Amino acid sequence: MRFALIGNPGVGKSTIFNQLTGLGVEVNRYPGTAVALETGNVCYKKEKFEVINLPGIYSLDGNTDEEVLVRDFLLKGDADALIAVLDAPRLERNLYLLLQVSEFELPMIMIVNKMDEAERLGLSLDIGRLSGQLGVDVIGVAALQGRNVDRIVPAALGTARPATVRTPYDHHIEAALTSLEKTLSTPRHKNLLALQGMSQDPLLIDTAGSIAREIEQRHRMSVHQIIATNRHNYARTLASDVVAIGESKRSFDVDSLLTRTMPGIPILVATLGFMLLSVFVIGSWMERIIVSAFTNGVITPFASLGLPPLATQVGLSLLVALQAGLGIAFPFVFTFYVGLSLLEDSGYMTRAAFLADRAMHRIGLHGEAIIPMVIGFGCTVPAVMSVRILKTRREQTIAAFLITMVPCSARTVVIAGIVAAFVGILWAFSIYLIVFVLIVVSALFLSRITPGEQFGMIVEMTPLRCPQARLVLAKSWLRIKEFLFIAMPVLVITSIALGLFQYFGIIDAFQAIVEPLTTSLLGLPAYASTALLFGIFRKELAFETLAVLAGTADLGSVMNGVQLYTFAIISVLFVPCVSTIAVLYRNLGARIAVLASLYSLGLGIFIGALINFLMK
Amino acid sequence: MDPSLREDLLEAICLLTRDSQRSPGIREIASALDKPEGEIQSGVTTLAADGDVIYENDGTVTLTATGQELGKRVAKKHETLQCFLSEILGMDRSSASDEACVLEHAVSDDTINRIGTYMQSPPRRWSRGQGAEGHDTSPLPALTDFNEGDNLIVSGILGRERASRLLDLGVVPGERVRIKRKLANHALVVQIKGCDVALSPEVAASICVERSG
Ligand SMILES: Nc1nc2c(ncn2[C@@H]2O[C@H](COP(=O)(O)OP(=O)(O)OP(=O)(O)O)[C@@H](O)[C@H]2O)c(=O)[nH]1
Ligand SMILES: [Mg+2]
Repeated sequence: MRFALIGNPGVGKSTIFNQLTGLGVEVNRYPGTAVALETGNVCYKKEKFEVINLPGIYSLDGNTDEEVLVRDFLLKGDADALIAVLDAPRLERNLYLLLQVSEFELPMIMIVNKMDEAERLGLSLDIGRLSGQLGVDVIGVAALQGRNVDRIVPAALGTARPATVRTPYDHHIEAALTSLEKTLSTPRHKNLLALQGMSQDPLLIDTAGSIAREIEQRHRMSVHQIIATNRHNYARTLASDVVAIGESKRSFDVDSLLTRTMPGIPILVATLGFMLLSVFVIGSWMERIIVSAFTNGVITPFASLGLPPLATQVGLSLLVALQAGLGIAFPFVFTFYVGLSLLEDSGYMTRAAFLADRAMHRIGLHGEAIIPMVIGFGCTVPAVMSVRILKTRREQTIAAFLITMVPCSARTVVIAGIVAAFVGILWAFSIYLIVFVLIVVSALFLSRITPGEQFGMIVEMTPLRCPQARLVLAKSWLRIKEFLFIAMPVLVITSIALGLFQYFGIIDAFQAIVEPLTTSLLGLPAYASTALLFGIFRKELAFETLAVLAGTADLGSVMNGVQLYTFAIISVLFVPCVSTIAVLYRNLGARIAVLASLYSLGLGIFIGALINFLMK
Repeated sequence: MDPSLREDLLEAICLLTRDSQRSPGIREIASALDKPEGEIQSGVTTLAADGDVIYENDGTVTLTATGQELGKRVAKKHETLQCFLSEILGMDRSSASDEACVLEHAVSDDTINRIGTYMQSPPRRWSRGQGAEGHDTSPLPALTDFNEGDNLIVSGILGRERASRLLDLGVVPGERVRIKRKLANHALVVQIKGCDVALSPEVAASICVERSG
């Protein structure tokens, strides 16, 4: 038996899912998309059942990855029972999706969650009446308090049945549905989708298409719009029949502070600044512990084993890759994910997006793009993964390009370790300034040349609330697993490849070939090119390799200030690390991955040469 | 005979003939028009005398060429008016149909043609915001033209690409919205169906609204 949780974003599906399943949750990425499906198991009367947490969606008629995934899931009938989760205080809006789900005629039960919140707002819901109207079992639940959560599985097992409720559509639509059903004998929900241009069946899409054009001509509205209006109106009728509005306990509206320019913007800047700073402080502290423990506990013993040189080289490369992965993943990326989940779950992220909309517009993006950009300060890989929240390909592309330029925590290590330490702290800040200017200039340039339409922000503001530690950790844990899944293999392969190159002298050959470029154009010592090459593997490795090759940790004694500054700025700008290239390739395709890499390579060398030329 | 009764009769016979592919009888016409059979009987007799219909021996009524033409014209007027009243002016369908039944007898052919053209060619409101010209000539105010605290009713959304997510969130014609926050750049937070939704200025500008009473 398989159950699937379905509902709008933020209704509490994950809260319920976590309470039902406990540990052992698995995430399956859907082929070809960035959307993940969570699967877990629940035991009831000594039997095991599978529960799937579908991504939150507003509608089944759209074309976002999530909507397509859920729609295909329903069309395939992949679950034995659906558990539709609705939000009690927003029942009417939630019924819109429920009306669509009902049309698929799959066995289901319905949960009205957040009953506690509804009570606090003075709303009383007649669950029995709602159940009668819809023709399915309805359970009122308050998942945070665990109220009635234990009734969910028995109901899904015992009384799941197809809902009887049907939206009455405009008579032209109804006529079209009847005629399609008669002529092609296709079911109602497929006909409805086909009328809105969504179907795999060529005959159906053809017939439905011509009917739809006729209807649109008459109504001067798209079929999609007519259908949506009918559903919303019916949802209102249903909701007004079961919800009674009473006296609500008024509380202070924090939004009056958060969504105004004053003091909203200072609060936003402070929040993001605080988050980045704490990630950096906690991260570097944890990294130091992990790296030294790994070096002392694993790498040193391995090196002293006295294996044949080739085996030692391969083994060391493998271990260094693992160390790099763990040294970045847990201290920086995981801490960052915790901070991010806190921002998301508290509902603050949507306020941040609203306030950032104006600034983001200037660079061809919109408010929601602040999320990937902020993540980019932590680590580029998850930042690129999150660009899919932007709705158009154009915005995803621009954002991905810019993110690869944002100084992530590893690049901050380079800037701090080379420039702040040997040249001066103000010079270190000047690198941030230069990078920031370059980001803005690139954004202006990219927003001009990237094809496609700009799409504004349409974001539901989630209510502000205190995040739950359990959900925040569970979410961060799932994300870090995903990160490791992408980054680890890439790190291991590149590390071993670089190790072998070094072993067979290819690195030296490379160094000799690019030497004229390194010394005359960039004014750096020849071995700097090798350090930069290692930086592609992992950014702070550029710094570490440089120290090894220079033969001293006191870089100030072997390179002058201009050289150090040039080296730092090139390694910050030039070519994102391999994990980033991999995730760019995965999420946006080979073309964008190659273009973004070449762009930053060119930009890095150009700026490096420029600085060398100006300051020499 | 009352001219509007004449038009109603011809229209009804025309539609009945078209729908059932055969000539209707007195009873069918009477039930279509919701009038007593006696009145229909005498009306049809008058029409037959005027040469608009042929009253057959088997009790069925067939339109002559002139009757056919007049009937069709009235039927078209009815359809155009009903469509205009319900789709453009947003009346509900059954009152639009009742109203059209009255208006169809008085309205001139020219007016009907103009209404037809208006509905065929995309009216200006649909192109607003997509080109520079449409901007200040548009007769419909957008969300961005109002202020914090205003209660409004959605009258339409411009541009189909954007419309989809808005539709999902309940921004459909006839829905009530309240502006909760408006920033200097015209980014808005609106309350719709009990939820707060943040909108970019260009999205807000594409939502046409009226002040609610
Ligand atoms: N007051 C109250 N809040 C709840 C309840 N259940 C969940 N929440 C809160 O609702 C918010 C969203 O819950 P999630 O479980 O993340 O929602 P979701 O449906 O998984 O959301 P998506 O993954 O975005 O689709 C969280 O902040 C929860 O704390 C409840 O019963 N009462
Ligand atoms: Mg969830």
